[in-house]
Amino acid sequence: MTVSRILVVDDEPQIQRFLKPSLTAAGYEVIEALTGADALKAVATQAPDLVILDLGLPDMDGKDVIASLRGWSEVPIVILSARDRESEKIAALDLGADDYVEKPFGIGELTARIRNALRHRGRLDAIPEIMEVDGLTIDPIRRLVTRGVETIRLTPKEYDLLLLLSRHAGRVVTHRTLLTTVWGPAHGEDLHYLRVFIGQLRQKIERDPTEPRIVRTEPGVGYRLLTDHETS
Amino acid sequence: MADDDRRDDRRPDPDALLVLADKDRRGKLTVFLGAAPGVGKTYAMLSRAARLRTDGVDIVVGLVETHGRSETAGLLDGLEVLPRRHVSHRGRMLEEFDLDAALERRPSIVIVDELAHSNPDGSRHPKRHQDIEELIAAGIDVWTALNIQHLESLADLVGRITGITVRERVPDIVLKRADEVLLVDLSPSELIERLKDGKVYLPESARRAVDRFFRLGNLTALRELALRRTADRVDDQMVDYLKQNAIDGPWATGERLLVCVGSDVLSEKVIRVASRLASGLNAPWMVVSIERADREVETPERLQRIETLFRLAEQLGAETRRVIGHDFVDEILKLARREHATQIVIGTRRRGRMDRFLSRSLPEALAKRASGLGVYIVTPDGGDAAFAKRPLPMPRLSALRQATAIASGFVAIAAAIGKVIDLIVHLPNISLLFLLAVLGAAVSGGYLAAFFAAVLSTLAYNFLFIDPLHTFTIAAPHEVFALFVFLAVAIIAGGFASRIREQAEIAGIRAAALQSLYDFSRKLAGTAKTEDAIWLTVSHLQARLKRKVVLLLPRQGDLSMAAAWPPDTELDVTDLTAARWAHDKREAAGHGTGTLPNSRFEFRPLLGPHGIVGVCGIEHRDDRLDLNAERALTAILDQTAIALDRARLAEETVQQAARLEGERYREALLSSISHDLRTPLATITGAVTGLRQLGERMTPENRDDLLQSIEEESGRMSRFVANLLDMTRIEAGTLKPKQEWMDVTDVVQSAVERTRKYAPGRLIETGIAPDLPLIKGDSVLLSQVLFNLLDNAVKYGGEEPINVYARRDGKDVLISVTDLGKGIPPEELDRIFEKFYRRGKPDGRAPGTGLGLSIARGFVEAMGGRIHAESPAWKKKGTRIIMRFPEAEPSAMEPG
Repeated sequence: MTVSRILVVDDEPQIQRFLKPSLTAAGYEVIEALTGADALKAVATQAPDLVILDLGLPDMDGKDVIASLRGWSEVPIVILSARDRESEKIAALDLGADDYVEKPFGIGELTARIRNALRHRGRLDAIPEIMEVDGLTIDPIRRLVTRGVETIRLTPKEYDLLLLLSRHAGRVVTHRTLLTTVWGPAHGEDLHYLRVFIGQLRQKIERDPTEPRIVRTEPGVGYRLLTDHETS
Repeated sequence: MADDDRRDDRRPDPDALLVLADKDRRGKLTVFLGAAPGVGKTYAMLSRAARLRTDGVDIVVGLVETHGRSETAGLLDGLEVLPRRHVSHRGRMLEEFDLDAALERRPSIVIVDELAHSNPDGSRHPKRHQDIEELIAAGIDVWTALNIQHLESLADLVGRITGITVRERVPDIVLKRADEVLLVDLSPSELIERLKDGKVYLPESARRAVDRFFRLGNLTALRELALRRTADRVDDQMVDYLKQNAIDGPWATGERLLVCVGSDVLSEKVIRVASRLASGLNAPWMVVSIERADREVETPERLQRIETLFRLAEQLGAETRRVIGHDFVDEILKLARREHATQIVIGTRRRGRMDRFLSRSLPEALAKRASGLGVYIVTPDGGDAAFAKRPLPMPRLSALRQATAIASGFVAIAAAIGKVIDLIVHLPNISLLFLLAVLGAAVSGGYLAAFFAAVLSTLAYNFLFIDPLHTFTIAAPHEVFALFVFLAVAIIAGGFASRIREQAEIAGIRAAALQSLYDFSRKLAGTAKTEDAIWLTVSHLQARLKRKVVLLLPRQGDLSMAAAWPPDTELDVTDLTAARWAHDKREAAGHGTGTLPNSRFEFRPLLGPHGIVGVCGIEHRDDRLDLNAERALTAILDQTAIALDRARLAEETVQQAARLEGERYREALLSSISHDLRTPLATITGAVTGLRQLGERMTPENRDDLLQSIEEESGRMSRFVANLLDMTRIEAGTLKPKQEWMDVTDVVQSAVERTRKYAPGRLIETGIAPDLPLIKGDSVLLSQVLFNLLDNAVKYGGEEPINVYARRDGKDVLISVTDLGKGIPPEELDRIFEKFYRRGKPDGRAPGTGLGLSIARGFVEAMGGRIHAESPAWKKKGTRIIMRFPEAEPSAMEPG
């Protein structure tokens, strides 16, 4: 298996300074870019497998970098952002970023996001496969959700929600994406639908709906279906 | 045109609706009207109240006089009675209605007996009906009782019927505005019966008048008046209803009265007559007083009389207006046309001195020229002794003496010149010389001098120039005629000339007043601050009015004295209450007004374009303000109100700007903290987790590098936190620098060493003059300042060396830090000392915290020094920050 190449885009030398040895030690090849323009150039010429992008760049807005990249590249993008910049995160995710990490972050958290994003990339064209989380089995071909021997009866909307989340397993899916995919483009703002349906879904699939271990809330951003190595 | 009007009228009259809307917010007034004492008003009121009470209505008794009668007192059982207020008045303790207690209790209905009652001195309002008005304004319903004889417009009529002067009077407008009037009726014979049975209480003082008052004839007349008034009101209510509902009705008589008054005694009668006429015709009426524009005949007494008349007229429900004009008749007719008056009411007044020039009396002239208008002439009563005997104003003795002297002087000169000319050449028209003398006397001495000069000239001319000479006899008959013609011409010409003089004087006075007002306005326009404006106003008013002036402004929700002239003027509780009243109700209060008249000051609200801005109090003196002073006062107060309004707006703008600045600052603080703390934290967290999880797989160099970055970032964070703490100390004002002797060399060395440790690669050169004196201050703070400056120089100075110099400059010690970086544009030089201001990226992501220079300035200024920046520093490059500390006093250098 080839070594994945990661492009780190951040103008803070300190951040670059600790990311590079850590990611290298985690088995990735690291290339650096300090500006948005450099980042676009690096993606075009060095074909990284993944981009880690800080949204605050000196020369251009990180969101613009995502928008330009998505014009010609499907490279997974993980953004670095502050907790208090929710709207920025959501905008970035809606523009096509794959996931985000809030500063300050541990290396473990970052590598987990990287792995999820890279796995998703590898799976994009593959046929849907059976997935298991926290004892719950989702079979997209037979449209069956089971826990042990017990089949869990879901309504079509609940199933669609779960399926969408499982396709992006491990990664955050924004409210807007969930709403427009499951309910349609006109319902992008109908957040209360989600609250109700996610609640119902959790009642049916979680062992303890008050402490969800399958569908996690990303406050203000969206929901994430945890993968097994994250729940444990 | 008439049709149009009618169509417009079909819509509900907006004024009528407005009055109704206002009534919704106000309490309702119910008046129990009786013809005489003893008809049972209080009884009726209380028995009705008892009924409502059982229905659960919140009705309380504010004040009721039962006069010890058990049947009335019995009705008080079960009703809540408010405690009375005890007032000592001329050594006696009086029990009075407690207005504040009623306002505080806030019942739905309060009963306050005896509407016509006068409150003792020291009460908030002189009259009880004003107390009641305040209750109604506060939204409380009031029930009260009134005898018809106390009604203002009927006072003289009642006086004539019963022969008793009624002193306690209630303005008609109070009854007119009452929402409900209930007539408590008792036939006169029954009333007299009750009186005989001792069921009617009368105060001791009135007992003597009882026999005169309680006569069948009197009572019948009063009863008729009461019945008629009540019937009138029913009519009013119907008219109101018709108007509100836009029903064309037969109510409109279309009559409108214009009532002309002067300062004479008859005018009061004119007003009462007009009031009855107006209420009979159901017509609105307006009372006007006309002042001559060309004369200042407005003596204070006259003004005061007109003021009193106006107040009477307003109480009777009239509008009042002052008009200034030349021709009385013309002005009255003009006003009548403008106001669509249909009738003019005027008294025939005794023709004064002034009117002798006019051929006709005013009413006659009016009647002749008022086409299409009714003129109603009120004649004085035979008994109006005061009117008949009104003395002509006598000129003062000094004025008389002065006039005689001037007249004699001019005539003597004319006579002398005449004689001289007569010696040289015989002049037939020598009398013209005397005419000249008369004119001269008129111009320099006024009307009186002119008159004397005319008489003297006639005598002198006769004596000196008419045969037989040196006698007062006249030989030729035509000379007698000529002499009388001369006298007439002299008096008339003198009269005109003296008027020119008067006008010139008045013009002068007005010009001076205008000039003074203009000066005031100009000065006021020059004041930027509220403080300056109010002091200017009080001092100017004091100088102009020659009495104490205070100005109160609302501050922190309460009205407080802002300025006074003389400055030691103090206000007592009554004054302050009156001032607050004037402020809250936006109307004059205090002396000379209906509210708290025993205050020493009259308080007037200062109303600017955006509402009330303050209250001005003018001390009361025995001499009232004359018309000019009154005009000046009004103009000055208007100007002040506008200026204060403007100042208040300006202050609000400043506060708004400060708020915005504060928000901007908080935003900068947040962004600075989030960035300057988060980046090091992110680095430390990332490096630590990386080391823990992946440490074994790293090369030793990488591990070391991560550890080093942790160390550096921790240092960066601790510097930032220290800066924040320093800034907080400066902001909180808790910074207390020590005042110790410092050797600048030591301090510079320590700061430079600290910087070298943190930026080992940078070249820092120091140059310290050898003769440098010690300075006083806090070496820790100064070292921190120097470190911050060096830190900045390291960040912004490029790769060039940094220079630190210290030298003596006159009495000061200068310390400077110079870098050779890009420098600072001149427009930003001042801003770099602001908090969270950073050169570089606008998103706040500059390498610095934006606090260093700000802290430097805070520390330097706390130590008594100054700091500023220069750029470029050297060959169009770099920045130099210069600190200047005063050298310590030589005497302070001595040990001890």
